[in-house]
Amino acid sequence: MDKIYRNKAAIIIFIAPAFILFTLVLLVPIIQAFYYSLCDWNALTQPKFIGFDNFIKLFTNDQTMKFAVKNSLFFMIFSVVTQQFTGLLLAALLTNIKWGRNLFKNIYYLPAVLSSAALGLLWSFLFNPKMGVNQLLAKFGIKGPLWLMDSDGYIVLGMWVIGFVALWQYVGTTMMLYMAQITGISKSLYEASYIDGANKVKSFRYITLPLIKPMIATTLSLNCIGSLKFFDLVYNMTQGGPNHRTDVLATHLYFQGFQYFKYGYASAIGVVLLIMCIIVTLIINRLFKSEAYEG
Amino acid sequence: MKIKKILACILTLIMTVSLLAGCKGKDKEASNGGDSNGEVEEIKWMFWDDLTATEDLISLGYAKVLERFNETYKGKYHVTPITTNLEEYDTKLNALIAAKDTPDVFICNPGPNLTQYVESGVAADLTDILQNQEKEWYDSFTEGIFERLIYDGKIYAVPTNFAAALVFYNTEMFKAAGVEVPTTFTEWIDVCQKLKDAGYTPIACSAGTAWCLSMIAGYLCDRAGGPDNLKGVNEGTLDWTSESFITAGEKLVELSKYFQETAAGDSNDQATAMFYNGEAAMLVQGSWAIGQMNGANPEIEDKCGVFNFPALEGGADPHRMIVKTDNLVMSSTTKHQEAAIALMKCFTDETAQKYTAEVGGKIPVINVDFDKEKAPAQLSYVMDILSESTGTLGFYNESLASVEAGDTFDNAMVDLFLGSLTPEQAFQQVQDFYEENVWNK
Repeated sequence: MDKIYRNKAAIIIFIAPAFILFTLVLLVPIIQAFYYSLCDWNALTQPKFIGFDNFIKLFTNDQTMKFAVKNSLFFMIFSVVTQQFTGLLLAALLTNIKWGRNLFKNIYYLPAVLSSAALGLLWSFLFNPKMGVNQLLAKFGIKGPLWLMDSDGYIVLGMWVIGFVALWQYVGTTMMLYMAQITGISKSLYEASYIDGANKVKSFRYITLPLIKPMIATTLSLNCIGSLKFFDLVYNMTQGGPNHRTDVLATHLYFQGFQYFKYGYASAIGVVLLIMCIIVTLIINRLFKSEAYEG
Repeated sequence: MKIKKILACILTLIMTVSLLAGCKGKDKEASNGGDSNGEVEEIKWMFWDDLTATEDLISLGYAKVLERFNETYKGKYHVTPITTNLEEYDTKLNALIAAKDTPDVFICNPGPNLTQYVESGVAADLTDILQNQEKEWYDSFTEGIFERLIYDGKIYAVPTNFAAALVFYNTEMFKAAGVEVPTTFTEWIDVCQKLKDAGYTPIACSAGTAWCLSMIAGYLCDRAGGPDNLKGVNEGTLDWTSESFITAGEKLVELSKYFQETAAGDSNDQATAMFYNGEAAMLVQGSWAIGQMNGANPEIEDKCGVFNFPALEGGADPHRMIVKTDNLVMSSTTKHQEAAIALMKCFTDETAQKYTAEVGGKIPVINVDFDKEKAPAQLSYVMDILSESTGTLGFYNESLASVEAGDTFDNAMVDLFLGSLTPEQAFQQVQDFYEENVWNK
């Protein structure tokens, strides 16, 4: 077996399938997208090279792009704060309870396995003025707001609603990751801390938190990138409306590309999105550089 | 071990052979084009509704046409539908076109959508076929029906049906509130107020589905400035911020006070349902909704009246109507032109057009004597109003420079309705879009 690992031909053959697939379905399209982002192209005619015009327009003369960047950043910060906090809290609680751990774990994780498109539709029904929440409020004599169509404020109500639904849907994933990390911590560490007189809160602060640091970096990256490129709930709940106020980068890209057939312009949005994701990942990796704990 | 190796070899061989077989199949299909050689010519037709799951009477009629076509031309031509839902239609169609796999015949909206296919050379020029080769077919169409399908004097699509937008009203509620059909905007507002005082919701409208609100806005723009408005903005001779547009905006705000409370979030279906369930007195809609209304609540047919969109005092010609045709486009690269033409003829022959009127409740595109008794009652009211019309226009959002321009108009109108923009600000938004993307290009 050792011999085969030293055989160059064998190495090439083993690597080839993954490498070819990666190049064909990922690398080539990314490079193509970079090229198209410099073109005026509607997919029906030949692309026309126009230099950085798409990017210039994107940053200087596109009101929707302003909404989209603002909403995407809001969504990222909102998701990170709420999901990290709630996810960690749930994980800490669930690893500490004796009965029903699996039951609650499954309940909290359930929304994550359902289709986002179906959930988006479901929640948009719940927030529709004629059904759901507002009908319930009306029973108590309260006139509910236009949850998804309100147009006031710097961040419109619709974005908060979508943020809440995303939290509900994805907090289970963050919780699972933290639970996996916490259950991996050796029991003896906790026992030692209890002998030294630490209570549950203190042992969480001084043992659990430092030891799950690598997982914080992972979940943060997942949360950040996931929310930057977030699409499905926004598309299914508001379609970016009213008047683009709930558009995020991914929906702006979708509408420009697949509704208005401005593929060059949409590619430019895609490139901006990619760069934002890379920057965020680099920052997180720099902030949370830590060695893995050997338990 | 040896058996495993042999097995692996055999499996690989089978996979390779099956791959090659797949390629060969395609080759054969591709070389099959042109004349029929006694084999069945297969064509594809693309449509924006699921023909097996739909309840829409017009879509079901289309399914019948396909059946009839396959029956009539058995052994010669065969058509297979490619269906998607409406929202994904354009995306999927464009993906097929980009992959050089354009369906032989596909359905298309008039306006910027069709323009796009004409300009990129996807749509076949049908002028010669219609005016020379198939003159009899061409002559069967009603006059002026091709108006919005002509570019530079050439015809690029064939219409299959025709619908007009007007105001539907509940005759019982009008009677109870003691009001008559209004002919001017002031009268209309008066009627709305009286209906409101009598405890009814005057108008059901959807701003959640932007085009519903935009249709009313479009009508108001046309009532205020007439055909010159659309012509002017598209040619760059009239500003969106000119007086007639601002007036239209102000009237929209005035009228919207009589919409149902939940109009901002309601969908088109919800607003239409409010009307046919007797929860609202009026509905501004296209006559394509007749089938939907009567299908969902047959009782509405007897108490549903129709009137033309009222005139603006001091405005333009009040007899113009917003109309819309469904159209068939033939691919310019089809290898089965004769089959495609035969299919399009099937969509517009007497059988299909009678169905359109008698069952679908839409207006036929050819001169055909359909049974008026069988057709929905509302259709004859619509046709009466249409016979008095002095001109037609398309949906405003489908008559602008591009799909995006139409959406900009829709969105500005929704914002105006929500009260987050004034009429001046709303039309300034459309003006900005035109200055940036249309006039300076």
